Parts: sequence; C-alpha cells; structure tokens
Amino acid sequence: MLRIDRRFLHSFDWILLALVLCVSGMALMNLYSASYPPSPWGIPPFLKQCYLFLFGMMGILFILFFDYKVLYFWNYPFYIFIIFLLVLVLVVGNSAGGAQRWINLGLFKLQPSELAKLMLVVTLSSYYSRKEQSDGYGVKAMVTPVLLTLLPFLLILKQPDLGTALMLGIIFVSMTIFAKVRWQTYGLGIILGSAAGVFAWFYLLRDYQKRRIETLLNPAKDPMGQGYQILQSKIAVGSGGVSGKGYLEGTQGHLHFLPERHTDFAFAVWGEERGFVGSIFFLGVYFFMLIWGLYVAMTARDRFGVFLSFGVVMLIFWQAVINLLMILGFLPVVGIPLPLVSYGGSSLLTTLFALGILMNVRMRRFQTGQNIEKMK
Amino acid sequence: MKWSGYKNLEELSEHDDADLDHLKRRITFAALVIIFFVTIIFGRLWFLQLHMGEEYRHRADNNRVRMRAIAAPRGNILDAKGRELVTNRPSFNVVLVREDSNDVDKLLKKLALSLDLDISVLWDKIRDASSKPRHIPIRLLEDVDWETLAYVENHNQEFPGIRIETVPVRVYHYGNLAAHAIGYLGEISKKELAARNSDIYAGGDLVGKMGLERLREKDLRGEKGSSSSEVNAKGFEQQLLKSVEPLPGNDIQLTIDAELQKVAEDLMASGDKAGAVVAMEVKTGRMLVLASSPVLPLNQFVGGISHKNWNALLENPKHPLINKVVQAMYPPASTYKMITAMAGLTAGVIDADTVFYCPGHFKFGKRRYHCWKRSGHGAVNLKRAISESCDVYFYQVGLRIGVDRLAEMANKFGLGHKSGIEMEHEKSGLTPTKAWKKKRRGQKWQEGETLSVAIGQGFNLVTPLQICLMTATIANGGKQLFPQIIEKVTDPDGKVLEQLKPVVVSELKGDKALLQQIREGMEEVVEGRRGTARNIRIDGITIAGKTGTAQVVRLKQYKHLKEEDIPYKYRDHAWFTCYAPADDPEIAVTVLVEHGLHGGSGAGPIAKALLENYFADRLQKAATEEDSRIEAAGQER
Repeated sequence: MLRIDRRFLHSFDWILLALVLCVSGMALMNLYSASYPPSPWGIPPFLKQCYLFLFGMMGILFILFFDYKVLYFWNYPFYIFIIFLLVLVLVVGNSAGGAQRWINLGLFKLQPSELAKLMLVVTLSSYYSRKEQSDGYGVKAMVTPVLLTLLPFLLILKQPDLGTALMLGIIFVSMTIFAKVRWQTYGLGIILGSAAGVFAWFYLLRDYQKRRIETLLNPAKDPMGQGYQILQSKIAVGSGGVSGKGYLEGTQGHLHFLPERHTDFAFAVWGEERGFVGSIFFLGVYFFMLIWGLYVAMTARDRFGVFLSFGVVMLIFWQAVINLLMILGFLPVVGIPLPLVSYGGSSLLTTLFALGILMNVRMRRFQTGQNIEKMK
Repeated sequence: MKWSGYKNLEELSEHDDADLDHLKRRITFAALVIIFFVTIIFGRLWFLQLHMGEEYRHRADNNRVRMRAIAAPRGNILDAKGRELVTNRPSFNVVLVREDSNDVDKLLKKLALSLDLDISVLWDKIRDASSKPRHIPIRLLEDVDWETLAYVENHNQEFPGIRIETVPVRVYHYGNLAAHAIGYLGEISKKELAARNSDIYAGGDLVGKMGLERLREKDLRGEKGSSSSEVNAKGFEQQLLKSVEPLPGNDIQLTIDAELQKVAEDLMASGDKAGAVVAMEVKTGRMLVLASSPVLPLNQFVGGISHKNWNALLENPKHPLINKVVQAMYPPASTYKMITAMAGLTAGVIDADTVFYCPGHFKFGKRRYHCWKRSGHGAVNLKRAISESCDVYFYQVGLRIGVDRLAEMANKFGLGHKSGIEMEHEKSGLTPTKAWKKKRRGQKWQEGETLSVAIGQGFNLVTPLQICLMTATIANGGKQLFPQIIEKVTDPDGKVLEQLKPVVVSELKGDKALLQQIREGMEEVVEGRRGTARNIRIDGITIAGKTGTAQVVRLKQYKHLKEEDIPYKYRDHAWFTCYAPADDPEIAVTVLVEHGLHGGSGAGPIAKALLENYFADRLQKAATEEDSRIEAAGQER
C-alpha cells in the first residue's frame, strides 16, 4: 500500500509546494513582527508556529504516501471522531473569553472546530461524489448532507463560536451549489435559511454577537468599543501607505492599538509594515495559490478528487475573504483567522493538511482506477 | 451506508468523462467568484492605503504621539542689591489624561483607595473639565508631597492615564515683601485665554494677575518647551521622540531695596497701621521703598486663593487689596503748603521777609478760618510759617494768588496727574481749579474754598507717591523725575535687555533761589527749635521735611473728644514727607498713616527709621571718627 510510484515524484506539484512555502514564509515573518517584542515567558508564538509549521509539513509528507481515496473509505470514522472531539470539548474543554473551544494537549491546544471544517469538506466530497444526479439534487437527497452539516454546526454554535459555525454553513453552501441542485431545492433552501436566520437573530445570537453586527453598520457609534477594533485595523492598514512603515516599524501593532494583532488581525500588521505594494504582492501570491488549487480540481482524475480539491480551495478561500473583509472594515469582527497567516496551531495544521490533500490529488492525477486496485 | 466503500470504488470509476466535464465547467465559475472578491479586496486596499493613506498615517500618529507642553520657569525678581525676592521651585501635580485611560471610573477608584483621597473631589475636578478636549490633562492633585509623588511614579503601570506634571511655582523668599509692587499669579481665566495668543497660553497656565507679575508678564513668562513622546494603546509612555527645553523668563531687578522696604513694612505692621511708605532717590527717580500696608498675603495666592481668604481680604477694613502708594487718595494737608509757598514766591506776592500776623484764626467773609494753633503764631515769615505750619500765613498767600495758580504750581511738582509709574490703577489725584468746579459740579468757585486748598484741604487729593515726587522735586532743585521701579531686565543668558536711565519729566523754570527758601523752611521743620517734627532728628544727618494732618471729617461732635476716643475711621490721617541730607539731598521719604492722627508723631518715626537704615554706614563711620577723634584728643592731653 505504501509503494511509491516513481511517476508520483515526477507528477508532484512543485509549483503548489512553492506557493505554500512562499505564503508560509511571509506569514511566519509577519508573525514575528506581530508578536514582537516576544513575551519573556513561555515559547514565543513565532517559534511555536514554526514548530507547528514543520510538523504540518511532515503531515503533508505523510498524507502524500496514501492515495487520497483513503479519505473516501475512512470518511465516516473520521466524521464520528471529529464529532466526538466536538462533544468532548464541550465537556472538558478549556474556556477562554466565555467560549469552550480548546482541548489541552500539553504542547498545544487543539481546537476541534478547525478540524471540523476540513472534516466537512471531506464528508461532503465523499457524499456528492457518490451520488451523481445529472439534473441536480432534489430536496430528498439533501436531507443527509444537511444533517451531516447541522450536527457539527450546532455543536460549534454551542461553544459558542459563531464564526466557525458560519464557516461550516458557507462550506456546505459552496459545495452543494457546486454539486448542482434543482431549483426547488434552492427555493426551499433560501426559505428555510432565512427563517433560520430570523430565528437565530431573536433566539440564538448573544448580545455581543448582535452588537458586532450593529457596529459594522454604524462603526462611529462607539469608537472605543467594537468599532474601535475595526477602526484601529483600518488605521493600521491605511497608514501603511504605498510602501509601508518597514519591517518591525509598525506602530499600530507594536503599541497595541491593533487588537488580536497576531491572530485574526495579523494581515493588518503586514499591511501597515509593507504598504500597498507588499499587500498586493502577498495577496497576489495567496490568491494565485487558491486559483492554482482550482486548477488542481480541474485536472483531478475523478469526481471525488474534484470535490475534494474544490472543497479545500473553498475552505481556505472563504476564511481568507471573510478575514480580509473584516480587517478592511467591510465585515463585523467574527473570529475567522486568515489561513496560514494567523497565529493558531489548529488552524495552521488544518490548512496545511488541506493543502496536503490538494497536493495529493494533483500528484495522483494520472493514476487510473486500475492502479488503485493494484494498491489494494 | 458502509464504513468501507469497496463497492463504491467501482461506482467511482464508472463515472463518465462527460459528467466530470460538467463539474469542471463549474470550477471556472468558482474562479470568477475568487477573482471578484480579489478585485474588491484590492480595490479596498487601494482606497485605504493610497487614497486615504495620508489621512490614516496622520491618525496613526495621533494615536501614538502625545505632545506635552513644559512650563517655563518664570523670571526671578531681585531687589536693588541683587537679593532674590521671588524665584521658582518645582511643584508636582497629579494629572489625568482621559484620552489615555480606558476606564476612568476604575482608575479613580484605585487612585482614591491607594492615596486615601475622597473620590467625589476627584470626580468634581473631572466634571469641571468635562468640556475640555480629552487629551488635555486634568489636575487631580496639586503640589503633592514627595511621598505621593514617589508612590504614583513607582506604580505608574497601574494607573494608565495618570501622570505627574512638573510645574514651577513661585517662592517668596522675603514673604510678602513689596507684595503690591510684585503682585501674584493665578490660573489664566477663560476670558484672558480668549484674548491672548493661543500659541503661548493654554488652559491651566499661570499668568500674572497683579503688579509687575502682570505688567511684566511678557518679560517674566519665558517660552514653554515641549516634549513629544510615544504612547501605547493603554496610554503608557514608551519613548521620548522629541523634546524642546523651556526657556526661562527674563529676570527683573527692582530699584526697591529689600532691607529698607522691610524696615518700612515691619514698622507699619508692628503698629498695625494702614497706609503707605514711599522712598525715592531724588536725583535718579529710583523708587527704593514702595510699601502699602497691610501687605498682601502672597503665599495665599500660590495655587489659587481660596474663597474664604479672598473674602477676608475684601472685607478687611484696612483694605489690603488696595495699593495705597498709588491707588488711594488723601488730602495732602500741610504737605501742600510748599506748593502754596512756591506759588506765592513765584507770583511775587510774598518773599522771604513777608510777614503775616497769625492771631490763631483768619476772618474771611462771614467765616473764621482757624489756624491749627488756636493761640496763634504771632508774626510769621515764610521760614517760620513752614516750620511751624502756620495756617493763617498760607490763607493769606492763597487768597492773594488764587486757586488756579496754586493748581498750576502743584502740577509742576507732580500733583494732579498720574506719574506713569509701573503700577496698576494709579490715581491721578485732584488739584482743583475754577474751571474744574464749573465743569464737574456746575458751580462757581467760592473764594473761601481757596483758603482750604491753600492749606491742602478742601478738594485737594493726592497719592502718597505724588507727595514723595513733590518732595523729591523740591529736594533736587525743581526736576520732576519719572519714578522708576525696574533697575534692569536681563535674559537667562545674562544679557541686559533694559537698564534704568533717569528721566526728567519736567523742570521748574525761574529762580532756583526761591526753592532754596522753601527748603530752608523744611529743614527748620526738623532741625528748628519749634519745628513740628523735631522728634525725628538724627545726629549726623540733617533732614528737611514737612508734617501733615489730613482731616477725614469735620464733625463738631468729635471736636471736644480726646484724640484716642475718636473712632478709628474718623481720626485724621498722618503725613510726613522729608528728604536728606538737607544740603545735598539723596533720598526723599514719604509716609502716610491712615488715621494716624499727627504727622510728626504718627508718621515721622517711620521715616526716621528708614533714614537711619539708609544712612547707617555713614552714621557708623561718622561715629567711629568721632570716637577716635575724642580718643586722640584724650591721648594728647
């Protein structure tokens, strides 16, 4: 099973690897500045992220040994394992800021909700690749994927982590539209979706979550409160100007005006220190990596591979878009990190594993079903 | 559903390529979605960083850079001999910058608890300043002690937004000495702030409110320095970016001699006397003593005077707030007789030998005008008239020359108009004329009124300074000198910006010998056998002077009372004015004691003490010479 075909090496996606290394390199450099000066105790975030990055790269290597199809077979055990973790985190999880999100593993704190995003991509990929409907999925066929999404969604909402929960919804919607559904299904989906939204506003959302949304609509209303973060983020990015203030020279970040500067707002540090030129370069590489991911989907050898790579791209893309629009003042402050850039082990590992899956799909693009048989 | 999809695997392989192609076509759409969002993000970056870049750059700097003004030490004030009268010391205020504190409520609670303060007082201060911009420091505690200072400095990490502000405050080394001339400082008022240059002044600044502190504000204030420092989001200062040292104000050296001034003030204070003591160098116009009693309690004004203290000053019957040297007017009484005499001599209606008979009164019209000496002086010439202050003599002279020529002469000696001395609210006094009465009262001048004017009563009003100027003019031979109180102004580098130069305002024309006759009369006042101020004679120095007793009211009911039994406020004012040495005058001294009864006894001794101090060196020397002469004579024998 672990036999490596020489052709794998030949067809390995060096460009994708280069893009990932390029983005990660810039991201780690930025993280050093964003968490500068390092705190005197514990492992500095920068180093921690470096270790995890190396660990993630080894993870990618490990993933590459297996045909991605393994995920197709082991999908449900994987699903159940993640659901188990999500339940576990509610029972024994570490709480921070009123939310129970982490399981302490000693070296680092695992955030199962991050893994759940990747898990959903795999689950939906395997569901939609199984049941092809040429005229699109009907309402009945949607029951299973909806339930599969709803379960982790509700568990994450319970933590509560609105941002990640919504992320699952977005992944579900993107992949479902991609899988093609009938018009009736769209209609019903929109009706149920808006009903759920209205219900959520009145019964589920907590006050601080509502306030975040209200603040977005009128940020000047309370400059020192919720709007403060968005304002400081805009000031940070805007003050970078054309060429930025220079590495480690950003004042918004280093003087703590910028909130969450090494996690959710890490890109604002980049924008402040690198300016417009640096930001365009960084995001250019970043989004080219995602477009390349779509190209991987294009060239995948089978339906599962297409869904899988598409799902991975969407997973990273939507997080990036939401995070950037938040930093640039277009969206409320929701706890969505910028994959690869924001500090956070679970997010970094999940993203790297997802990219590993992408590389895997690309690497095995010429392999036929016959080869799989042999592998077995 | 199965856990392992071996069968499904076949399903997978069965997909036809056409189906896969449909799927892949949708990927193109996804790429368009990505490009769409990338366009939005890039557009937004363009807007924030390029279009609004300058604006946000500015806001980022506003975020982090705190400009702070550093108060300049005010110029020092020195006395004529270079003794420091007023200097500065640093005082430490605890201030709050609301902009740098994210939770004022919590902060104040903590501060009140740590320093054992009343939190409501702190809140009051913040409420008072609530209209000010958030970056303006609010003073919570002023002039704190070292213990508080050290505590706040050591725990500054616990009090974001709280800072120590160092402000120089005045130190008065000689207490309240020359308080009216020096004046005091106070916090700049809103009105002053609006009127003055906003580049120089800011709310909370101390500015001169009275005296030279106010008049010489421009010299004394110096130039503020500034410091820009970087603060973090919590308001803690990270590093100093730029600092401009403040430039201290210019030093002002006064002509006032602290020692003489102190003698004058102490004597006035020891007798609990209200009034003024003025001394001047007769050849230069330097004012050596400018004392107004009671003095202002200057220390009460440091850091702002309390309501209670201010009201006490306002209600004090001896009016400490009034600078009696220039702001109070009194009838000149007999000190005016030199004017009458000079007017008579100049007009030629009398000469040194003219004799009038004084029976103790003078009949004019239906009224009898009394001489102070009811028994009469008999036949008096000018010299005696001055030395014994015979009223009748001056009634006669006054009558012969008329009120207008009296006023004219008075003006030449500095009466009836402001001298222009650097003191505030100087009164011009009053030298009445016929035209004046017509204009002001709408009445014709009565000749009888001329008699009162001739002896310094009636409508006549003068300030103690004017009498001193008059005396100096007599002493120096007719030169009216501009009274000056600033010897020099030097900048912090020691460069002299302003140096006193004697200024002659006007000079008496005509025969200087006439003035000599008056001087002889004045000398007789002190040195003569029957002079009214014999009691102030000093061995070794000849003094020429004139006493005066100014009637406050003319009430019959008090006529028969003994002087001590007359209520204080109805007692006569006592004048004494003099110069010395009589043959070559150097100094003129004028003393006015409100309700001091008699010039010779009420005011004279103060002048005497001043002169003794002023001439102390010479008197000492003369005494030693005398001793050694006697000794030498003894040895010869």
